Amino acid sequence: MEKQWNIEKIQQVLPQRYPFLFVDRVIDIDRENSQITCIKNVSINDYFFEGHFPGNPVMPGALIIEAMAQSGILLYSALKPEQSKKNPDYLLGTVDVKFKNPVKAGDCLLIRTKKIKLTETAGIVESRAEVNDRLAAKGTLSFGVVFFKED
Amino acid sequence: MEKPIEEQKVKEELRELIAEIAELEPEEVTDDAIFTDDLGVDSMMALEIVAKIEKKHKVVIPEEKIPEITSLQKVFDMLKALSGK
Repeated sequence: MEKQWNIEKIQQVLPQRYPFLFVDRVIDIDRENSQITCIKNVSINDYFFEGHFPGNPVMPGALIIEAMAQSGILLYSALKPEQSKKNPDYLLGTVDVKFKNPVKAGDCLLIRTKKIKLTETAGIVESRAEVNDRLAAKGTLSFGVVFFKED
Repeated sequence: MEKPIEEQKVKEELRELIAEIAELEPEEVTDDAIFTDDLGVDSMMALEIVAKIEKKHKVVIPEEKIPEITSLQKVFDMLKALSGK
């Protein structure tokens, strides 16, 4: 089984695209422990820095949460590949995240996401976002997976 | 040996937990109300209920058993079986 996914594979799994794709690479898939590790390279060229904030490029916390949520979808796909192939809709449910340190242009954001509970139609995951072993944010997210009936 | 008072307490705690997640009043969560049809509990809420029960009671509810817990009574029965009481 593959342990890493490049951006081509990520785009087969995630429905998000520019300007809303916040995972660049999956560097480790640990199926045994139901855990995935992803990276998002934060560049001064990222469009959100234009306004957040002029002269002080800090990655918005809401987008760190989005990166965590996207890593949750990637984890779902790694653990439930057959379901993921049906291209369901993923809906974020609850978010309980604490922010510890700012993420700035030039940082490589490492996102580790672990299953708490996962079924075919919903998931709860625990996620930590770090830069060089320094915690940026951590918390718990839940999401629903909705399949549309085929005609 | 049966411990009816303790069981009643656990059941009332479960009722409150389910009511909180489903955004209902505890009295609306009757023992046999069906989560999906009567209480509007979706798959995400069901998972939240399971995760909170696991944390509080230090048990593991297998994912394949989740579809079987369709009412407060069924949650209670499963918890009782898992706790070995």
